[in-house]
Amino acid sequence: MLVVDRAGGIVEANDAARTVLPDVTGGDGPYENLPDWLTEAHRHMTGGLGATWAEPPSGAIGGRHFEAHPRPGADGDVAWWLIDATDRHLAEETLRREQERAAILSEVSSTLLSSLNVPRCMEVTARLATRHLADAAVLVAPAQGRRHPVTYAQAHGPAVRVTRAVDPATVPGLAEALQGFPPVPTRWIDPGAIPAWAIPEGFEGPVGSVTVTPLPGHGVPAGALILLRSSTVRAFTESENVFARLFAARAGAALSAARLYTEQAAVTATLMQELLPPALGGVHGVDYAGGYRPAQDSERIGGDFYDVHPGADPSQESLVVLGDVAGKGLDAAVLTGKIRNTLHALLPLAHDHQHVLNLLNAALLTSRHTRFATLVLVSARHRAGRVRLRLTSAGHLPPLIVRADGRVEESGTRGNLVGAMPAVSVRTEETVLAPGETCLLYTDGITEARGGPLGGELYGVERLKRALAECAGMPAEAVVERVQMLAAQWLGQGRHDDMAVIAISAPRPRPLTVTGGDMHRGHSGNPGRSGRPGEPGVPGDPGTPHERHGRSA
Amino acid sequence: MITPPFEFSLIVTAAADVLTVEVAGELDHQTSDALVRTVVGHLSPGGAAFRRVRLDFGRLTWIDSMGLSALLAVHRHAGAVGVTLHLDSRPGFLERLLTLTGTLDHLTTTVTTTAAAGDPVPEAEAG
Repeated sequence: MLVVDRAGGIVEANDAARTVLPDVTGGDGPYENLPDWLTEAHRHMTGGLGATWAEPPSGAIGGRHFEAHPRPGADGDVAWWLIDATDRHLAEETLRREQERAAILSEVSSTLLSSLNVPRCMEVTARLATRHLADAAVLVAPAQGRRHPVTYAQAHGPAVRVTRAVDPATVPGLAEALQGFPPVPTRWIDPGAIPAWAIPEGFEGPVGSVTVTPLPGHGVPAGALILLRSSTVRAFTESENVFARLFAARAGAALSAARLYTEQAAVTATLMQELLPPALGGVHGVDYAGGYRPAQDSERIGGDFYDVHPGADPSQESLVVLGDVAGKGLDAAVLTGKIRNTLHALLPLAHDHQHVLNLLNAALLTSRHTRFATLVLVSARHRAGRVRLRLTSAGHLPPLIVRADGRVEESGTRGNLVGAMPAVSVRTEETVLAPGETCLLYTDGITEARGGPLGGELYGVERLKRALAECAGMPAEAVVERVQMLAAQWLGQGRHDDMAVIAISAPRPRPLTVTGGDMHRGHSGNPGRSGRPGEPGVPGDPGTPHERHGRSA
Repeated sequence: MITPPFEFSLIVTAAADVLTVEVAGELDHQTSDALVRTVVGHLSPGGAAFRRVRLDFGRLTWIDSMGLSALLAVHRHAGAVGVTLHLDSRPGFLERLLTLTGTLDHLTTTVTTTAAAGDPVPEAEAG
């Protein structure tokens, strides 16, 4: 207990106070021998403000922490009771630091996880490390070939990324950290032994303290973090090392996720490129049009595909394939690629669909799984203004044929799916398309589109047939556009699976015209039955010229 | 708008030499694996000697291509150990899918010599 007069002189101090403040004599001059924080508190009291603190004034005296509780006395004296709050203060300090660290860690996670870009993740990690842990940070990523991507950051500076051939063995503990071994204690690392490459350019002062921490990834390490403090700043403590490890764990997880995502996205992009349906057009007097709308979750490659293999010459059949592989993702993509390649190789045998399908089935059968594909093969040949088709369904939705008068026929072909059963037996059906007639192949993404006025209802084959009845006489491209548009309308905002459509049409003859000495077949008006009163115009309305479908005879 | 899927469930009853699995809800890419694992688990050597597996589809609400793939897998496993597969109470959509894909006869016939016969019994493939 200290009694301090109005002027700040200590007029009385008990034994306990003298132990704490050994210099106090009892006749001290104004504010002599009082710690600054207590001086300020006393001035606050005597300045007329009184004891208006929410918390009692507190501060350090001789390495310990005290709270001061004032009791105003006579003549403006104040008796200050000093209470040793060192332990509580320490506990509070620790708690505050832990809370700060928890906040930093959660910031690290949320900042890093919002980016799935690997270089950006490394930059953010290095910058966050300089903000919260060290004067400079160097993030060394696992080698790509013989070079390591290295990201440098310093407090208040931008992050710099380079890829350089560095020898991890030159930094104590780095080679181990890159292999995922636990960090080497800071005290074992000689700051003087740090090679120049591991110190960011422009780092001020000699390196005073270093930690090397692994960034743990999913299975394989995501890299290592070198933290540097200049010699003017205190060395890393054990508790800071522990915190650095927690920081590294968060950063490593985020980096690893970003790396996995990047790899997956690259694989998906490559496969997508390979699996993209071809552009179609007219081949040997037959019109082809295709439309493909992948499912929204574009990360997972769908299983729909189509191809048109033109015959060697107009007298030969062209082979059209449309199929749907069960499932999605990498497995489906691999199977799709296998089917397309195998069918390409089997083209010379395409006159016998059943034979081709059995060879394909044998190539696909595996003991590993029962993933299958359903597909339709169509061999098409133009002959005397008409198109002859041989249609074979291997477990797929049967092709629909739109006749000139608006009738829609379902092909009678049927057969087994391929890839899961010992043998395939099919029934091939032949038909002939008169000019303006179309054969439509489609996948169940169309008929199983859920939506409609009530939502959740399947589009269904019957609705598709009714829609096609109104496409009579339209060119192939217009039929595909119409079907895709109707399915999209039906879906509204709903999610959908892959949707693939192919239209095979016999082109309409056009009156002979002479243009610039070349003989062309003109494009006749379209006598189709679309364009009912009140119905919105659709491509291929009567009278609309479709010059882009014209071609030399 | 997609209506929320019905809860998928498998109810397994073993009576004498018949294993009955009631499949309720949607058999699709998310649930088909569970069916294969369940049936294969019961047909594993050392277990009860079943002669028939009855899949009851009375409360099946939907099946997709991965669901059909699962039925083909179940059939293959059953055939490999000489167990006959029965597909009971087939709803219309299942009947149509099996007819369209030409799998109905195959699935309801015991085929002990598939192209994959002789290979080790495979693990269920992830969807």
